[in-house]
Amino acid sequence: MTKLAQWLWALALLGSAWAALTMGALGLELPSPCREILWPLPAYLLVSAGCYALGTVGYRVATFHDCEDAARELQSQIQEARADLTRRGLRF
Amino acid sequence: MATGTDQVVGLGLVAVSLIIFTYYTAWVILLPFIDSEHVIHKFFLPRAYAVAIPLAAGLLLLLCVGLFITYIMLKKQRVTKKAQ
Repeated sequence: MTKLAQWLWALALLGSAWAALTMGALGLELPSPCREILWPLPAYLLVSAGCYALGTVGYRVATFHDCEDAARELQSQIQEARADLTRRGLRF
Repeated sequence: MATGTDQVVGLGLVAVSLIIFTYYTAWVILLPFIDSEHVIHKFFLPRAYAVAIPLAAGLLLLLCVGLFITYIMLKKQRVTKKAQ
């Protein structure tokens, strides 16, 4: 089974479980706070996943190790290459 | 370690994501267990907005992505037409 099929399968299972519980199709009398938490659960999971992604990106941006020397060397190499190519007739 | 603006932006993103996460968790998970007479409920909108606002934001994001793609495709078409 492909990864996409696996993900869709899992989503369908969890989605149907959530739908069955929210609409009371199983005949379980859940206490009121549990029902209050259950119906926004998909939205909550999406928002938390988004927050996790945003936080991870921000953290990795903040803790990324800069290499000042390598950056300067790369810039000078870029200038050299541009000069060389313009001399050979390439238009930028 | 990253320097200057990188650190500020990165830590800003982390802070924003933590704030959103704690507020949203309190709204969806904690509030149903607190007495409806408690003063904390004043800080949170009615529960229906807990789904409506992320849904609207998601649709807005899709709209922006779609507009951006349309803009890029139109620009590309105009460039190829001028080159012909």
